[in-house]
Amino acid sequence: MYPWNHRTVMVTALLALAGVAGCAQQETPERSRGPDPLQMTPEAYAEYLVFESGSFRLDQPVQEGGDARQRMEQDEIQRLCSETRNRPPADVAARIVRIARESIRYPEGGIQLGDWRKGAELARSGYGYRVGHRNDDPDRTAGGNCYACHQMDPDELGYGNLGPSLTNYGELRGQGESVRRFVYEMIYNPHAYFPCTNMPRFGVNDFLSEESISHIMAYLLDPESPVNPGIEPGEGERRGL
Amino acid sequence: MLRRLLWYSILLSGLACVPAAASDSPYLTKRQQLMMLAESNPAELTLWKGEELFHEKRGPKNASLEACDFGLGPGVLEGAYVQMPRYFEDAGRVMDLESRIIYCMKTLQGFTEEDAPIARKHSSTTHTADLVALYTYIASQSDGMKWDPPMDHPMERLTRDAGEVLFYRRAGKMDFGCVSCHSEQRKRIRLSYLPSVHQPAEWAKAISWPAYRIGHGVVRSSQHRVRGCYWQMRQAGLNFGSEASIAILSFWTDQARGHVATLPDLKR
Ligand code: HEC
Ligand code: HEC
Repeated sequence: MYPWNHRTVMVTALLALAGVAGCAQQETPERSRGPDPLQMTPEAYAEYLVFESGSFRLDQPVQEGGDARQRMEQDEIQRLCSETRNRPPADVAARIVRIARESIRYPEGGIQLGDWRKGAELARSGYGYRVGHRNDDPDRTAGGNCYACHQMDPDELGYGNLGPSLTNYGELRGQGESVRRFVYEMIYNPHAYFPCTNMPRFGVNDFLSEESISHIMAYLLDPESPVNPGIEPGEGERRGL
Repeated sequence: MLRRLLWYSILLSGLACVPAAASDSPYLTKRQQLMMLAESNPAELTLWKGEELFHEKRGPKNASLEACDFGLGPGVLEGAYVQMPRYFEDAGRVMDLESRIIYCMKTLQGFTEEDAPIARKHSSTTHTADLVALYTYIASQSDGMKWDPPMDHPMERLTRDAGEVLFYRRAGKMDFGCVSCHSEQRKRIRLSYLPSVHQPAEWAKAISWPAYRIGHGVVRSSQHRVRGCYWQMRQAGLNFGSEASIAILSFWTDQARGHVATLPDLKR
């Protein structure tokens, strides 16, 4: 979609700017110190807005260490998905899947299921890592906010539908090694299966700890968990699971 | 009393002409139910306060805001808001309504950034910010009109286009961009139906700020909304009236072009 990659755009824009910055002064008094945006592409101007215009509180410290600038800097997957508006052509999609696969780190001693009761809380909680006018308390465990996008326990009515229903997920799929591995990878970096998915990368982004992931996985897969109350015959097929 | 009647008639006329898209838009259906349930819009009180403040002589220069040009000429309020953000020659930049009010409070009334009427950007349940009141009053003078932001000046077009890039720009601890939650119809976060940027009827309602937010108990602005969405995305805090915020507002207003604004709105 974009003829140049991001770097080329920036470099071209900056070179163009160097030549014209001087003449922008009279008409745009508030901008006399800055470059002339009209010489930039929308993409370059957007990057300027994010990093150079003082629009964001980039210097604010964040709980993972460093400052909020990091929250605005894109890694390769974020950049590729933004540039292709979440519809990557086949070659880009393949690249994203490869990057995602390489990013996944597995727990020492294999993928274990934790305590589904703790997982229930973590799946509901949308707390953690918000910064700006108000900051989340770094000492409180961050939640996975799965209910924002997924149905899980059928008795919980406050669920979103950006993602598919996960009710009876363990009932339908079992808890075997390959299922555990798939679910772990989905939580860790779902772009390994769905390039440019809307689901966050909870592992790669260090949003959920290894322990939190094990609890949420238990909530999803443990036969005792309320997410798995059992199914009517035919339900699995109907839902395409 | 008269005003109250007026408000009811606005409410009722809004209900009578339910947009065609509403029937298959759960977002619009829910929002119309909300309007129906509410006896009146408490934003009315904020609007009146704004009207008084607008005409009052205030500040070191003891002047009212009546000479402020919101893009259609000094003092012309009708239809001004639905034609913003806009490029202002005098300021040399693209401004949204809130930035423009602040600009006039500085130039006409002599207030500074530190003075309470400008420093205080948002209301609390115990105090209505002057800025929010003024914004509500001026915006209300565009109620029922169609969003129609100008795209004549090259900076208006560039700002809108950069806003579009920002809308799709994914970053932060949850890999979100605005696109993640506002690009498909009938999607929900928890129980809230999300408006889609590709459905102008939904989007025209979604960007109808100022709105009395029932959950907050006060009137909120578009700047407040866009800050909240960046916060939820776990990106860096967005500064009030910043160029990036105005770029987002430019794009989001353009996406509602030709569809009717509800001003002030009532939201959850
Ligand atoms: C912002 C929305 C969002 C959030 C939050 C989210 N997901 Fe997802 N999830 C999705 C989407 C969308 C998909 C479908 C993949 C696709 O098509 O992009 C998905 C797919 C999945 C799948 C695969 C389902 C299958 O087809 O087998 C699992 C498992 C899953 N999510 C688990 C979780 C868990 C556990 C959490 C909380 C830690 C979570 N998700 C949080 C959006 C989300
Ligand atoms: C993680 C999901 C998510 C992301 C990402 C997100 N929003 Fe929202 N947005 C919401 C939710 C939830 C609401 C509240 C809807 C409600 O109150 O019913 C909302 C409300 C809004 C509204 C007002 C709709 C209304 O009628 O109340 C607008 C406009 C909006 N968002 C724009 C944006 C913009 C612009 C961005 C990017 C800067 C963005 N959103 C990012 C979830 C999101």
